[in-house]
Amino acid sequence: MALLELNDITKFFGKLAAVEDIDLKVEKGEVLGIVGPNGSGKTTLINLISGYYKPTRGDIYFNGQKISGLRPDQIARLGIVRTFQSNVLFEGASVIESMMISSRLQYKTAEWQAFFNTRTYKDEQEKVVGNLLETLQLLDIFNETFRPAAALSHGYQRMLGIAAALAANPSVLMLDEPTTGMNHEEAMFVVENIKKINQRGITVLLIEHNMKVLLGVATRVVVLSFGNKIADGDPYEMMSKPEVIEAYLGTETV
Amino acid sequence: MPPAGIWIDGLVQSCIYMTMAFGMVLVFSILGILNWTHGQFYMLGAFVVYYAVTAAGIPFPLSLLVSGVIVGALGMLVEKFIIERLTGPGYGLLAVTAATMALIFFFEGAAGMAFGLMAKGMATTLPGVLDMGVFSISYQKIAVIIFTLIVMVAMYIVLNRTKIGKAIRATAQQPDAASLYGVNVGWVSLIVMGIGCALAAMAGGIMGPVQSVDPFMGRIPMIMSLLAIVIGGLGSLTGAIVGGIILGLLNSVIAYKISYLSEVVLFVLVIAILLIRPQGLFGAASK
Amino acid sequence: MIIGRLYIDQKSVVPKVVIGVVIALLAIVPLFTTSMVTLSTLISSGIWAVAVMGFILILRTGQFSMGQAAFMAIGGYVSAILTLNLGLSYYWLSFLASGVISGLIAFAIGLIVLRAGGTSFSIITIAFGEIVRIVALNWEDLTHGAAGILVKPPPPINIGNFEINFSLSLVPFYYFMILLVVASALFYWQIDRIRIGGTFRSVAANPVLAEHLGVHLMKYRVIAFTIAGVFTGFAGAYYVTFISVINPLIFDLWKSIQIMMMAIVGGPSLIVGGAIIGSTVLYSLGNYLSQLPVPNVQYVVFGAVVVLVLLFLPKGTGLVDLWGKFWRKVFREPEEYEIPGEFADDEEE
Repeated sequence: MALLELNDITKFFGKLAAVEDIDLKVEKGEVLGIVGPNGSGKTTLINLISGYYKPTRGDIYFNGQKISGLRPDQIARLGIVRTFQSNVLFEGASVIESMMISSRLQYKTAEWQAFFNTRTYKDEQEKVVGNLLETLQLLDIFNETFRPAAALSHGYQRMLGIAAALAANPSVLMLDEPTTGMNHEEAMFVVENIKKINQRGITVLLIEHNMKVLLGVATRVVVLSFGNKIADGDPYEMMSKPEVIEAYLGTETV
Repeated sequence: MPPAGIWIDGLVQSCIYMTMAFGMVLVFSILGILNWTHGQFYMLGAFVVYYAVTAAGIPFPLSLLVSGVIVGALGMLVEKFIIERLTGPGYGLLAVTAATMALIFFFEGAAGMAFGLMAKGMATTLPGVLDMGVFSISYQKIAVIIFTLIVMVAMYIVLNRTKIGKAIRATAQQPDAASLYGVNVGWVSLIVMGIGCALAAMAGGIMGPVQSVDPFMGRIPMIMSLLAIVIGGLGSLTGAIVGGIILGLLNSVIAYKISYLSEVVLFVLVIAILLIRPQGLFGAASK
Repeated sequence: MIIGRLYIDQKSVVPKVVIGVVIALLAIVPLFTTSMVTLSTLISSGIWAVAVMGFILILRTGQFSMGQAAFMAIGGYVSAILTLNLGLSYYWLSFLASGVISGLIAFAIGLIVLRAGGTSFSIITIAFGEIVRIVALNWEDLTHGAAGILVKPPPPINIGNFEINFSLSLVPFYYFMILLVVASALFYWQIDRIRIGGTFRSVAANPVLAEHLGVHLMKYRVIAFTIAGVFTGFAGAYYVTFISVINPLIFDLWKSIQIMMMAIVGGPSLIVGGAIIGSTVLYSLGNYLSQLPVPNVQYVVFGAVVVLVLLFLPKGTGLVDLWGKFWRKVFREPEEYEIPGEFADDEEE
């Protein structure tokens, strides 16, 4: 059984189908790249999985449990966490504060234990803060820990977005174009980090425009065009298929 | 079935709530904030008309225009010196909300200090009753209805046929794109605030003869038009008009059926509507 | 952001020593003066501060409640009606009930109204305040309508030979106010700095992101609204006992807006400090203004003060931030970004 299963997922906005009849199986431990030209429904797909949109038709299963129709917070609680393209900051928070907000799913102690600052709570908090710092180290933004998040460079802000998503303890991490607006070196830095995340056993769904990033990290690629899935398979093989090149490059060269 | 007089009263209220709600939503669609002082511009407009008619002897229709101009200018000052300065980056919605709410009491208090707390009547303006056989209607109420029709038609023409109107609608839909096409967004905000406040002032002026003029007369129209906006859906001009009509008629009919607690029933109805459609009748459905 | 930095290290703004000294000074005020004016100003300011803290807590979740005075009215009516019907000996039970019932009503209203959120929420809370006023005015069997209910002071408390008698002087009222304020302040302060406080702020700062990180927005909005309802109910019950009457006019729209104004002027970035500074400053000012022979001057001045504070204090942070700046300047403490409270505590251990 696949970890995440999409059956005939369709989403209409008015009369326009943003994605149509998509079947997709995500296996545990893979890095699945989702590519396609602008407007092909990549972000809509992530929005549907994360519960931000409700599908017009079709079901989504996670670990055999139906998750389509649940709220985003319930889906995050089950272990599917996503990042946003541009919506990454808690206004006014520093890096560690953003991380601490995001880490609330790691706690098992109740709020009243936090209120009375009990021993169990303190121990747990120590462990959680340790995890957070480790995550920051993993993604190489440890030096920015106490800076206001809004003061970080664009690249670091994107890394903070990923770090915050990791703090929510995901088993599936969905990244929405993590390298937009980055130069080659920064993008390669992100690739390294995605590999590190994947090595921890976290399944990654990666929406990406940048071919180099995709070929560098994805173990499988799904190509979308006008809301339909047109190809699915090994990244290098996919990129040589004529229909993929047409769908992809056709709009890219305009 | 309530008698015709109740429906006419309801219609008159509808007209006022409609005009007020329309102005507020117009401002909301451009500035992205509710002007909570709208009811106080209504009150100030009524005072301007009262003094224009009784002290300066200006004819009633002309004094309506005068109040529109004066209060519209006041609204522009508020936009320029308070609202605009509190909507820069880093300010949440809170600053502007708090400031305009504080202005409610500033204007009420100032009006009380300047004009006194006693209610002033101007019932002698537009006296007389039109007898239609089945029912009768006072000229004052006819004036309110005609005024609202004129305002709505005028607003329709302004928004759809003029250059300013096009700039306003473009800014409401896409502020960034509008500024790229050479629309001065700051200027549009100023104009819109002026129009909205002028509408409120004229509505207050036209209601002057029907009710009495006092510093607190703006509160009920304010709350009612706010509720009309909630029913109609925040940000929708059609919603504001429909919400205003619904609320005015409902208010009048409910008040006829159950003499007291009618407002409570009305509020509960509004909350019930929100329960079914949190975004209001004409609001954009979320997602 | 006007709501304030997500975690503000309270130690850097008002050191604990200063808080301690202020509390100690306040505790011995009745030794120096038992003047009605001083004590009643302090008592009223303290009670309003409790209501303002509730407003700020709701604000933490990004909601702007314009009906907080309605919860004071509910608390006041509950305690007045219960003592009237059960007898004065049940005063403290009625007091407890006022907070509980006010909280329950806040919970129920919150479940319905917070679904709309944002501006609609503000509008409906205004309407809610009006509903409470109209019901109080018209349900004469229960509330005695416009005449209102006279509220007797709490019965004397005997501890050994020592008698605390509320009907002889204001001093017992004063000390009970301190107790109420300190209890609510500790509660709000702790709520604000622990995990749930951060969650509240995240709901306001970026609801979409917070929801995708596992925060059930509605749940936390309702929790904040309910907590505020409980404490505001207590404040209302105690306020009507202090002024010894409740009628529909005491807690009107103006009082709700006044609570908002106190929060803005004091500074919503600090839930306790801002509330106390704001309510003390504005209540004293209002008290002074109401003695002037000019009608309505209080409305004008309050309105102007709020607008001026918003325009001229940086990003509307209120007086409390001004105090923080003054403190740092005097003691030359570096104005650097502080380690969040909880985390700093961990490192010290």
